[in-house]
Formats: sequence, structure tokens, C-alpha cells
Amino acid sequence: MTAPFQDTTTPEMSQDTKLVLALPKGRILKAAAPLLAGAGILPAPDCLDEGSRRLRFPTDDPALDVVRVRSFDVATFVAFGGAQLGICGADVLMEFDYPEIYAPLDLRIGACRVSVARPKGQGEGDNPARWSRVRVATKYPAITRRHFAARGINADIVHLHGAMELAPVLDLSHLIVDLVDTGSTLRANGLEETETIATVTSRLIVNRTALKTQPERIGALIARFRQALAAPATAETLPA
Amino acid sequence: MTDDPPPNPALLPAGFVDLLPSDAEAEAAGMESLMRVFASHGYSRVKPPLLEFEDTLLSGSGAAVADQAFRLMDPDTRRMMALRPDITPQIARIAATRLADAPRPLRLSYTGLCVQASGGARESDRQISQAGIELIGPDTPEADAEVVALGAEALAALGVPGVSFDLTMPPLAPALIAEVGFTPAERQALMRALDRKDAAAVAKLAGGLAPVLTELLHAAGPAERALSVLGGLVLPAPVRVLSERLAATFAAIKARVPDIRVTIDPVEFRGLHYHTGVCVTVYARGQHEELGRGGRYVSNNDEPACGLTLRPEALLRAAPARAGRVRVFLPVGSDPALGRRLRAEGYATVDGLVPVADSRAEAKRLECDMIVAGDGVVALT
Repeated sequence: MTAPFQDTTTPEMSQDTKLVLALPKGRILKAAAPLLAGAGILPAPDCLDEGSRRLRFPTDDPALDVVRVRSFDVATFVAFGGAQLGICGADVLMEFDYPEIYAPLDLRIGACRVSVARPKGQGEGDNPARWSRVRVATKYPAITRRHFAARGINADIVHLHGAMELAPVLDLSHLIVDLVDTGSTLRANGLEETETIATVTSRLIVNRTALKTQPERIGALIARFRQALAAPATAETLPA
Repeated sequence: MTDDPPPNPALLPAGFVDLLPSDAEAEAAGMESLMRVFASHGYSRVKPPLLEFEDTLLSGSGAAVADQAFRLMDPDTRRMMALRPDITPQIARIAATRLADAPRPLRLSYTGLCVQASGGARESDRQISQAGIELIGPDTPEADAEVVALGAEALAALGVPGVSFDLTMPPLAPALIAEVGFTPAERQALMRALDRKDAAAVAKLAGGLAPVLTELLHAAGPAERALSVLGGLVLPAPVRVLSERLAATFAAIKARVPDIRVTIDPVEFRGLHYHTGVCVTVYARGQHEELGRGGRYVSNNDEPACGLTLRPEALLRAAPARAGRVRVFLPVGSDPALGRRLRAEGYATVDGLVPVADSRAEAKRLECDMIVAGDGVVALT
């Protein structure tokens, strides 16, 4: 079932170090597993096991390793060339906006949205068009600043890494900007979505310099992901 | 009230570094080899100043780098001056003014320091060196090829391994997009998506152009393949002209340097924003940064020009380390004629200034590799 790897073992490979694919921990990793299998990339079995302490894993391709990092860090590893490829949410790409990253493929997994939310019923009679500034708790300071600046509003950022929903309740902020999947966490904490900033899915990302200097190897990997996407049903039925 | 601790005297402003022995020497030697290659091909050296009036430095082709310039006020004239963020616009100014009557093609080379307000996301250096060439006058594939070939020769002189040249045609994507009536906002969003090779956004924003643009996005790679994809597409006439020039430049480069490694990225338009034709970015396998960048632009006085600017800091990270001079310790009282002979042979001599009991230990303390013995030298072990 695994695609043969001849396309990457060109003579130039011998002078090269391995390619590294950065994968995000958690939700997206689970969704990406069938795609990886469909693309013929089989990481060591404990890679998909969140309990494993290892961070770097070999794959069945001796020229390709996988690293498992926080989803926000996937973009950074790829932008700085530590990993040549990665899988990462479009929200992370929007936040960091690294010019060194190309996003050649929409993997159509991990769909959710970056939204503005506030305590339910609090917006009555409050017209955002009159605001000069607003205090927002978020893990996306750049996206939040850009979003409100485009509306002529200065966003005072309260930068949190989790439990954003508590911020308006405990009076840290008026609003939150956060990643929303089903919205159940918002509802459970008495918040409601007021605006969608962007809908996001996960992307295959590539380091610009790596693509320019090793177009054959990286191009071949992108092509395998594209093929796996074209046949998602078969990818899921493949034995892991 | 509490005070912050005093700053450490070694701390420099972000983006500035001290180059210490061996690194500073390697940089000077590397720069010299680059300039020797440029000079050997008839590129005459010029040396523009560090500071210029803002309105001349940052006009014309300099406008593209205006946001990167440090500015200060001339206390004398009260006019704003700018520290050069890039030397190419200065060469364009010289070619159009003081050297306006010099015969064309005009071949100039230069090296010097630049200061940029901020590097890229990856590049934290704010003081950077540039070493480059400009070929002013002709607008032909052969001129493009001369510049690239000379760049390849200069990199070979430094021994940089695995060099590749990425050719782009920055006006191509805008010309393709101009054929369709996008609003300025749509156009901006699409250009941004193309810049990031964000295939999903391109597919969403490009409308009828999506299939062509997507194909071009995926065509980036080895030159022959990219050109065959370009050749197979139905393109509007103005775009076809650009694509044919790209192919002609590639052919001219290959004719000069048959074993050169070239990739082509047809939709990329990134770089110094003044470029108007075929552009080139220099990479080396295993290096995470660009080693240089160049391309065709319109010089002041609307004169065609093509140049290449190498980044010596990046080159030296990519090039194999060179052995510096061997240091020989000359204890007090050594024969001055011996010192002269050793220096003529390429050694660095380090004179003892006071008599010491153990000359070998003193030589080691001063980081020498050798010490004089009789009328020759011996290695310190």
C-alpha cells in the first residue's frame, strides 16, 4: 500500500540531511493520520500516541523524519527551516504571517473558525462603531489587532494561552477572540459568538528556501499529499 | 522606587554584532575574492557614501526600500538624510548623473555596509554588507546571463557548495491578473495569496484565472519542467512576451554556464520591489537563507539595468572555513631578517616585547601555532 520512495532517493539525496515534517499535537494530528497514511508516510507507531515522550520519530522513509510540536510552533519550525514541511492550521499562519512559509495545499481537515465572542446579552445598546478601543483576551494578538484596526478600533490585548472564556467573566476583557469548533465551550461559559473573523482548515506548509533548493524531493512529497487528498475515502480505509 | 540594573556593556542594539578575530578576517578575505572576480570581468569599482539626502536616496528605484531606512537630520542644512538600506539605488543614481556620459554598457561593482530598520522575519541583522555588480544599458537575455554567470563564478571562488539560482519574472503574475477586471482590493488579496503560495486562497480568489494560476504555482521547481508548463499554457500576448523572455534568459545562462543549477518560479514576484524583469535569487543547499538577489530594473533616466547583490555575511556562513595565517612567535632578540622572510612567506609574526623564561609557553599563551627555531620555524604541540 505504501507508495514507493524512489522519487525521493535521487542521487542528490546522499549529500543531504533528512527532510523533517512537523506535525501539531492534539486534534489536528488525529485528523491528519489518515492523510499521512494515504500519502504513504508511516511514522513510528508511538508518533500518533499522545502519551509518548519522544518528540522526533523516524518514518518508513529513511530520508524523512517527523517531529511533534505544539500547533503554534509548527509554523515557527518551518519558517526557520528546522522542519522543511509541516501541517498547521490556517489560524496559526494568519497569526504569524511568516513570509518564509508557503501553503501549497489545503488539507481540508481540522475545520473551525476564529471568532469574536462576548458574554451573552451584554452587547445591548453598545455600538462598536463608536468604540475607540476595546480590551480583548486572545491567543491571537496579531489577528485581533488587525481585525479591530481595520474597523478603526485599537485592541488592547490580554494575551492568554488558554481558558480565554474566563476573561470576560472575570473582567479581564470585554471580548475574546478564539478558535471555535462547535461553540459548546463558549455556551458552557455564558458567551456567544458575535463575529467570524475567518474560517480555517489545516494546510500543508513548506519552507520557502527548502522548496527552492530541493524542489524535486519537496515537490514529490507535496504531490503525494495531493494524491491522498484526491482519494480521501481510500486513505481512511487503508490499514494503519 | 526601584531602578533597573545597569545595562551590560557588551549589549549592542538588536541586529548589530561585533565580528571577532578569524570571523572578521574571513569576511575581509571573502569580500576581496568576490571583488577580484567582479574586477576581472571589467566591472569597475565605485564607492557611494553611507548617508545621502533622503529625497535623492529614496526616490526612483530607492522608493522601494524607503521603509527600511534609518533617517537623521543634517544639523547643517536641516535636511533629512537617510542611511542607505541598499546600494543599488545609489549605483543607479551615479550611472544617471556623474557617469551619464560613460560608454554603455556600463559595468560597475561595489561593496559596502548598509543599515536596515528591520530584517525579515528570519533575518535579524540590521547592519548588512553588500557586494554586487550592475550592468547598465542593455536589456537583453545575454546581459541577464552575464550577471548570473558572474555571480556563479564569484560563489565558486568562495567555494560555496550546492549553489542554485532561482529565476523569477515579477511582472508576469501582475500582467496575468491585469487581464481580468479585479477590484483593487481583490487584486491585493490575490497577490498576497500568490506571494504565500496559498493554493486554497488562490483557488478562492482568482475566479476564472484559478486553473492557470494554480498550475503556475505548482510549476515552481527545476527550470526545464517549469518552462514546459509555462509553454503549454494559453497565455495572453503581454504575458507570453514575459514568459518567452524568461525562457530566453534561461537559455542564455545555460549556454554560458552549462552545469549551473537553475530553478524557475513563474509566479513569484517577491524581492526588492524595484525589479521590472527577470530576477534571480541565490540559494545554497542546506542553507536556510538567501545568499543574494538581483534582477532587472529601470535605472534613473529610464535606462535598463540588471544587477546582482550578494550578502557576504550569508556567503561566509555557507562557504567552507578558510585557514587564516599561521601565527609564529618571535621571542625578544630574534633576527629581524627572519621575521621579514616569514611574513613574506605568508606567516603572521607575533613579536615578544619582553624577555620571558619559557618562550614556548609564552607562544602558546599568545595563541601562536609555531615558534622560531634556528633560522626556521617549528610547530608547537
